Amino acid sequence: MSSLDNKNKGNHTNDATDYLNEHEEISVKRHPYLIKSENASLALDGVKTISKEEIDKKVSDEVAFWLIDMHNWQQGWNTLCEIRRNLSPKIYLKPVLFVIDSSYIPDEIANASDGNISLSNCNSLLLEEWVSRVHHINQWIANLHLDSADTNIAFKVLRIITSRQTELEPITTIRRHSGYVYPILEPLFSKRDTGVLDTLSFLESQHLLSTRFISRAHFCSHCGSAFLNFKETCTQCGADDVHSDELVHHFKCAYTAEMEQFRKGDRLSCPKCERELKHIGVDYDKPSIIYNCNQCNHSFQDPKIMTECYNCGRQSEPENQEHRTIYAYTVSAIGRNAADHGLDTLFSNILETELNLFSETAFRDFFRIELSRINRYKVSNSTFVLIHFGDIEKLYIKLGNQASNIFHALSNIFKSVLRHSDVISAKNETLFLVIMTETSLEQSQIACDRLKKEINDLFKNNLEFQPQINILTKAFTGGLELDSLLEEFLDDVS
Amino acid sequence: MFLENAFEFLAGLSTTQLIAYFWPFFLLDMARYLFLDFIVILLYVPKRILQQAKYNHAKKQLYKERPLVSVIVPGKNEGKHIPRLSESLSYQSYKNIEIIIVDDGSDDDTAIICRELEKQGKIDRFIRNEIRGGKASAANTAFNFSRGKYIVHIDADSHLEVDAIETILLPFYMNDRVGAVGGDVRVANNDSTFATRLQSIEYIKSISTGRTIASELGILRIIAGAHGAFRRDVLQRLHGWDIGPGLDGDITLKIRKLGFQVVHEPMAICYTNVPETFRKLSKQRFRWDRSMIRFRIRKHRDILLPSAGFSLPNFLASAENIFFNLVLDVKWWIYVVQMLMINPSLLGYIFIINYILYFLANVLEFIMACVLLHSSMRRKDYVLFLFMPLIPFYTGIFLRIVRTYAYMMEFIHGASYNDKWNPWKVSRIAKKEKL
Repeated sequence: MSSLDNKNKGNHTNDATDYLNEHEEISVKRHPYLIKSENASLALDGVKTISKEEIDKKVSDEVAFWLIDMHNWQQGWNTLCEIRRNLSPKIYLKPVLFVIDSSYIPDEIANASDGNISLSNCNSLLLEEWVSRVHHINQWIANLHLDSADTNIAFKVLRIITSRQTELEPITTIRRHSGYVYPILEPLFSKRDTGVLDTLSFLESQHLLSTRFISRAHFCSHCGSAFLNFKETCTQCGADDVHSDELVHHFKCAYTAEMEQFRKGDRLSCPKCERELKHIGVDYDKPSIIYNCNQCNHSFQDPKIMTECYNCGRQSEPENQEHRTIYAYTVSAIGRNAADHGLDTLFSNILETELNLFSETAFRDFFRIELSRINRYKVSNSTFVLIHFGDIEKLYIKLGNQASNIFHALSNIFKSVLRHSDVISAKNETLFLVIMTETSLEQSQIACDRLKKEINDLFKNNLEFQPQINILTKAFTGGLELDSLLEEFLDDVS
Repeated sequence: MFLENAFEFLAGLSTTQLIAYFWPFFLLDMARYLFLDFIVILLYVPKRILQQAKYNHAKKQLYKERPLVSVIVPGKNEGKHIPRLSESLSYQSYKNIEIIIVDDGSDDDTAIICRELEKQGKIDRFIRNEIRGGKASAANTAFNFSRGKYIVHIDADSHLEVDAIETILLPFYMNDRVGAVGGDVRVANNDSTFATRLQSIEYIKSISTGRTIASELGILRIIAGAHGAFRRDVLQRLHGWDIGPGLDGDITLKIRKLGFQVVHEPMAICYTNVPETFRKLSKQRFRWDRSMIRFRIRKHRDILLPSAGFSLPNFLASAENIFFNLVLDVKWWIYVVQMLMINPSLLGYIFIINYILYFLANVLEFIMACVLLHSSMRRKDYVLFLFMPLIPFYTGIFLRIVRTYAYMMEFIHGASYNDKWNPWKVSRIAKKEKL
């Protein structure tokens, strides 16, 4: 209990401190509020109590954190979910602390709050300490200028991570199919498990989150469950009714057989020369391991490894299961900017609105069709262009909420250089894919040079900042392959 | 001129003088390797023809019973040979075989090659011992996992004639006292180098012919590791092979001691690769020859001594080998000293006359081998006849020097216990236990 008591989830990184300093300090006296549980038995001295229904009304900045009675952890969990699933950032971002007694709470639930207070130790001093611990979160929320509802779950996740200013680390659990949970994000999702992983993966692909390797894990390719039974099976009949035994080589008489043949009670005795085997490495050794199938009697050394999902029961070879990397996440500079000012300030979003960016799937279709068209008729030229902004993160850090202005200007440059007939898509914030239809390689290079020059001029005149822009142009011919081009290009620019 | 004088010297000798000057040839080698062989071949060839019906019956019995035969191939770093070996086994006329390869701690691609062949179903079982234990331990591993009624042990760098397995099994169906059958071993790379050509002639003479004759006389003392078939129950009684080098000769004597017959089947043919240089050949023979001292003189000395289990054929099998190889190896040094004492000026004549005598004897032996093996001889085997003049130098000088050196080293230093052919941990125990 004491370990939970003193848990400090508010330790933030140096980057985060710098980031906080950028924000205006808003001085408001905040207090904890205890949310009444259904049996309403808990009361804390000097702590105001409100009902769940009143939470919506109590969105004022006076609330330092919500306290939830976890005597009945299922009820407490439901309350936390209601808070986190609220669409108002002033509510769902607010710190939540659990008041715990001696009753059992699963780890992933206990870790879903911003902190836990033991009922026995709960006093005004401790509560005051917690008010100051979560101060930076409240300060960040107070600085948000948006009052609109956050309907996008990915955006909510981004804001939760940004507001806590800590690294989001997963914990292992047996109570979720996915095996790993990010406890603080769990209450945001009505549908658990892969929803969280997919959302984090999406945010990472958009460069909004940075990752740190935690582990690699196998997941069922059918249902996503992490609970797979890795079985050694017979190479002949596929049965998993196999047993293994060590081979023993007795040096003196060269007799070599399974350990079982040498065992005589608790001693090892050679069946050939009847000598006792005393010292491994001196009078005998174990050159290998042998598996025997109890079903078909086959013996082998390299059993076939199969996986069986505990959830859906599907069997498959490990290489056919999904092999995912589990990461810890921190917010990137782009992510912080987006969390502060909304996803609409992202460059790709601005371009999407102003230039009608196509989805990657649609772009791939266009790419395929254009390639077939050029190859078949051989009467015109089209060019494929890749544009990469190497240091866009610096731009977000430098510009903050002014980034959207410059991105609007940038999108105007894109608009002036590219034509309505060109097909544009964004892989993420930094990488743009363009099909310049009916444009030769030379013409496209002229256009790209113009694009580069105008972007450079824009930054030079306004920010004295020289962005790193990499452009690749390739004529549509023969067997042009999008994926290999992307791979080569990204290798080059990195 | 020199030859004329030599012939004049020969013509001037009385019969007694002839025998006195050339006693090693007339009294020993001609009697044992020419006359005895000639008589046995003279009897064996028609006997073999007359026994054709018996062979046919044995073949019928074999196919009626169709027992599983385990082909075991122990070895280290032999992966490169296994694809060809498994292919040659797939063409065998007798199909009910399982192929078991044991890798004795290879440090090359053997495991990768064999696992792939196992996946493709070209070998039935591949067992890799991560730690090298020596040939005997690898053979015993293979035997432990075999299921066949008969076990055929072959070397990895060998390949078999299409009917080799069928033929090597026939003696088991002709005589139920046969515990093991030696297959014929011929040289696969007989036209590679000068050394392989000479070895090829030697194999035809000493293995194909020599072992057929020894088998007929009931004194066969070795079943080659390169190609031998064993009854499972016999190997089970012996718990497999003992530590080598020379484990093939050792197990043959142990089978004989159990009271089983061991025979040679010259028509069950296996082709094996022999050393291509004289340097490698001398190393191989140095190892083989030492085992004569280690096993026949030391380990199986009891065969030579009167005891309750004394058996004359077993005694002869060992005694013949010891007498003609070890004792008579000394005769040459005695002979040279004797000739030097009588008249050193005649040494040149004596040398050239001895050479001619042994050359003629070798030609006759080769002709006898051709008569015996004519149906299985390849055209390139007959070409070897051209190299016959060199055989007296090869067997009489080169092999004799290697053999003498091997005997001395084994007698004095027990050199076989330090041979890297076995891992050090095994040799240490063998030396300590005087195995």
